[in-house]
Amino acid sequence: MSYRLGVDIGGTFTDATLVDEATGEVCIAKVSTTPSDPSVGFLLAMERLLAEAGVAGRDLRYLAHATTVATNAIIEGKLARTAFVTTDGFRDLLEIQRQVRSALYNVHFEKPRPLVPRHRCFGVRERLGPDGSVLRELDEEHVRDVAASLRAEDVEAVAVCLLHAYVNDAHERRVGEILAEELPGVEISLSSSVAPEFREYLRASTTVINAGVQPVVLRYLESIEDRLADRGVDAELLVMQSAGGVYTATAAKRRPVYMVESGPAAGVIAAAQLGRALGQPDVISFDMGGTTAKVSLVQDGEPTVTKDFQVGSAAQAGIGGSSFSGYPVRTPVVDLVEIGAGGGSIAWIDTGGKLRVGPRSAGADPGPVCYRRGGAEPTITDANLVLGRLSPTNFLGGEIELDVEGARAAIEERCAKPLGLDVVEAARGIVEIANAAMGNALHLVSVQRGHDPRRFVLVAFGGAGPAHANALARDAEINTVLVPRSPGIFSATGLLVTDLHHEYTTTVLAPLAEVTRERLDELFAPLEDAGRRDLEREGTAPEDVSTVRQLDLRYVGQSFELTVASADPETAADLFHAEHDRAYGFSAPGEPIELVSVRVRAVGRIPKPVPKPLEAGPLPAPTGSRPVHFTEAGGYVETAVYERSALPAGARFEGPAIVEEYDSTTVVHPGFWVEVDTYGNLLLRRMV
Amino acid sequence: MSLDPITFEVVRNALVAATDEMVVSLRRAAYSTNIKTRADFSCAFFDADLRCIAQGFTQPVHLGSMVQQVPRAVTEYGAENIGPGDAIITNDPFPSGVHLNDVSLVSPVFWDGELVGYVANLAHHVDVGGGAPASIGAFREVFQEGLIIPPVKVVEAGALVPDVWKLVLAQIRSKHETGGDLRAQVAANATGIRRVGALLERHGLGTVRAAIDELLDYTERRTRAELARLPHGSFEAEGYVDSDGYSDERVRLHARVELRADGVRFDITDSEPQRRAPVNSTYAQTYSACAYALKCLIDPDLPVNDGFYRLLQVDTRPGTIAHAEWPAPVVGGWETHTRLVEVIFRALSEALPHGVPAGTKGMMCHAGFGGVDPELGYWCFLETFGGGYGGRFRSDGPDAVQAHGQNTENAPVEETERGYPVLVERLELVEDSEGAGRYRGGLGLRKDYRFPRGPVTFSVLADRDKEGPWGLFGGLPGRPAEYVLQTAEGERRLGAKSTVEVQAGELVSYRTCGGGGYGPPHERDPELVLRDVVDGKVSVERARAVYRVAVDMEARRVDESETRKLRAEVAR
Repeated sequence: MSYRLGVDIGGTFTDATLVDEATGEVCIAKVSTTPSDPSVGFLLAMERLLAEAGVAGRDLRYLAHATTVATNAIIEGKLARTAFVTTDGFRDLLEIQRQVRSALYNVHFEKPRPLVPRHRCFGVRERLGPDGSVLRELDEEHVRDVAASLRAEDVEAVAVCLLHAYVNDAHERRVGEILAEELPGVEISLSSSVAPEFREYLRASTTVINAGVQPVVLRYLESIEDRLADRGVDAELLVMQSAGGVYTATAAKRRPVYMVESGPAAGVIAAAQLGRALGQPDVISFDMGGTTAKVSLVQDGEPTVTKDFQVGSAAQAGIGGSSFSGYPVRTPVVDLVEIGAGGGSIAWIDTGGKLRVGPRSAGADPGPVCYRRGGAEPTITDANLVLGRLSPTNFLGGEIELDVEGARAAIEERCAKPLGLDVVEAARGIVEIANAAMGNALHLVSVQRGHDPRRFVLVAFGGAGPAHANALARDAEINTVLVPRSPGIFSATGLLVTDLHHEYTTTVLAPLAEVTRERLDELFAPLEDAGRRDLEREGTAPEDVSTVRQLDLRYVGQSFELTVASADPETAADLFHAEHDRAYGFSAPGEPIELVSVRVRAVGRIPKPVPKPLEAGPLPAPTGSRPVHFTEAGGYVETAVYERSALPAGARFEGPAIVEEYDSTTVVHPGFWVEVDTYGNLLLRRMV
Repeated sequence: MSLDPITFEVVRNALVAATDEMVVSLRRAAYSTNIKTRADFSCAFFDADLRCIAQGFTQPVHLGSMVQQVPRAVTEYGAENIGPGDAIITNDPFPSGVHLNDVSLVSPVFWDGELVGYVANLAHHVDVGGGAPASIGAFREVFQEGLIIPPVKVVEAGALVPDVWKLVLAQIRSKHETGGDLRAQVAANATGIRRVGALLERHGLGTVRAAIDELLDYTERRTRAELARLPHGSFEAEGYVDSDGYSDERVRLHARVELRADGVRFDITDSEPQRRAPVNSTYAQTYSACAYALKCLIDPDLPVNDGFYRLLQVDTRPGTIAHAEWPAPVVGGWETHTRLVEVIFRALSEALPHGVPAGTKGMMCHAGFGGVDPELGYWCFLETFGGGYGGRFRSDGPDAVQAHGQNTENAPVEETERGYPVLVERLELVEDSEGAGRYRGGLGLRKDYRFPRGPVTFSVLADRDKEGPWGLFGGLPGRPAEYVLQTAEGERRLGAKSTVEVQAGELVSYRTCGGGGYGPPHERDPELVLRDVVDGKVSVERARAVYRVAVDMEARRVDESETRKLRAEVAR
């Protein structure tokens, strides 16, 4: 017997999925997250599943984990006692940041508080030029003096970021060696190994975060590993990275900054894998939970990855890189747009008398009005309930009976009356405004990046995603919506279907025209060797290792790079012009191109469990019907309600319809029809 | 046509999203550090009546300047002469533009053959020709400041107009960068046109027009609601720009602010006559200062469009430094603009003690330099620096940050050194530069540039080197700025508006001012003083002398009995 387990710890819930590798049989569990020690929730969810499936710990062959532990440490200010060491003259990099305000018109703005206080920031005497040449030798005695100060400060972790270390890491390595000698037991992060990217503040910030979360992550992962060992689990713990792909807990302890977006990445990976499995490699992933909605684009089965990411900044409709409320992280992160529109997002009337939705959320506590937990402000969930889209009696399998009258009264009082609308109009407004905001997010990840959403499949998950996906698809002219089984815990399944990933980069900064194919081979070879070596050391068989060669390119003079997958300079140039045209609407084929860096992604293939097919059968009778509001139908129409678990493969029916399951409700609009595929996914398609 | 509130909200957000997308597009495709990294540009959408509808702003200074410059450019060129696929370019300061570096590009949006409006963007170009690299410096008249482009067509029916393109680039030192930046401006407008087009396709012209009208009325309603909350009355103050680049005679600015429930009037007429020196603000720049100040007093969530501008009245007297007339030099107009915001905040400080900060950096603080390099050709570089922000009612002024209309990022040291023949030797906070107060001002910053390779022409266009930003309610002023040239002979101060030839190996150092303090320093929480002392931002001596706090650095704690004694002396 061999099983795979995925555990995804979110802000509210800890979700777990267990798959029988032989049969593809899946079990799921959802427990409350235990913020004081998240490993408690981890263990609880695991044990529940093991007991349910009658499986012993030693039967787990694969164990992957997504966690917010690193992010929370930053947001809650629970970093280790960290020091920052940089080139003399630059100790204030973390204080000065980018010298900008996070809000243009608010005189009470604050800059993000530096993650390391100034008295633990130090300059060491050394200096490199932009080409890596030594302008000033490293003063090793000075480094030892600094080490003495660090000892006096009793630091737990040190981030080292010297100017131009991305081209030449010799000084950083030497500083690292000296600090390791002088400060035994202190974790040291070097910028040249954490994120060898140019632009000092971005690299410094990334390195500081790595250093600051390292002891926290270390303790956390060790605590889980200990508990697993107690239960006889000997599978190696794997952790989801921000860009998708897992790494071993050992690697995670060394480079924890790579996991800051581990949870959201798991969802996108799950959507990508589902698309690939169904022969639909181009999908848009739409994950709507209680407080936010996240939209991300997957092309050719690969999630889009960005390095413009800030941790700790507020979720918003984002205008690409001009928000400064967080701390930059220059590691690859799944490119997603997150907006403050979730089931718990609050609807309100602004001072101009207009209806607004979010970004404030009633969260899980008190939650929407209809949860009867003291919430007074109407939310998207309340609006869906009033519109008949949610069942008052069959929510979370009937665990909570939803208060329709309460929801209706709140919308009436707080939205409808001030607007001079009736309550249904107001509820419809709340849903449509939220849908429009999510539509803009969808636009940002697709059209804005040069992709036509109409050729993508929308994969909807998260507790609230399936209720809104159909409307979103309709408005974006997307023809197909895919709702996986158990959409509420779908992200956790992403943990079971990924591969081991490692990224290796060398900064080059040379005109592409002067780089020969042979030179590229020389640059790639050591990165590929490192990738193979690392993966094989982690237990991947040589035949399961593959490497992907990529080039980061830009026109000479630009700052933002585009990544193309090629190992040949001429092909790369063609790909780059085409990609630039797609992304920005123009290309300049006469302009010289600069090769910024070469990049290798080493992938250790992990066999995927084969999902268990569903038995085929005829469409069962609906479990009931109720009036549901659809604008396109002119109001409430009596709508058939199906129980998801009763739907066999091959079943087909037309919208309007409602499909209910334990953790989610799928709304099918008029003009769409539904097909249940071989594996139980719902496919909503536009009727022609 | 009446419009339901839901469609309204959908269209409104889509319009803002359109200008936001223009921002992303421009930034990503641009070449100069000033635009691509420092984000010194903004984008907007205007309707066919040239009313500003939506703004994707990275820089609040453009809040007023674009809404003046874009309508003017269209009117002057003649809307009837602008067809689909055309774009108009201009940077002419007179009668309603700003300084020459800010180049606007305006493109019409047509739908079914009908003019719907205009998308526009304005970007600060590092070099537009003129008397010194980066086109900043102390000049006597606008002709020395660079190329003046009246509204002309630079793109016609989708194709660049080669004669104009060549003529423009011929005047410019850093042609490669400028050419790339201009192409990025063209691309940004194309993005805007596409996005507005998609919106029209979805909702139809009638609905979008109705939404626009409602958006402006809605904004006006909300602005009025905000104005009703403010204290009403007439408030005035004056202030000075420290020097004009030719004389040390300071330059007087005066503002009277009339806050009423039905609108706000800024009367700047009592400012002194314009000078043949780089301290003149155009009307658009003055308007921009007033619009910014008003925007800070109301809900930040409020959209900015014609519905907001309707309630704003700005009176100036032509021929003054707040309303320069041709052919006055205007490159330093943003310095004066920023100081005017300070004066307005000072005028309001008694009435709105919770709402305005003490004196801030309050200058743009430019460094512009360039030279001819055997490898790079003629290169130019421009940067502006943060300084201390003023203390606020309940919080310290942040350290080393941009103020008011300016929110440009710093140029990363590594990017600067890779792209230009310069070494940055130092980037740090200026210790003890804060204006002391119950809530202290922020610290200024220091940045040192060394030029290893050879002579460059370096221009300082800044201020605040004579008087530091003022304190409020007993707070002390911040330390003034210093601009220093270091040569083999030693250090010498540079004028705040001056151009020098810097030789190989020499160094220029900027040390910007700290922000003013808020409330008496001896009322500052001793624990906050301790934190600053431990962090090395404030010296032990200064803590004792100014804040009257005795710090025991060995134990890292406040010596409470000694502090009580020190503070009792102040009380007496």
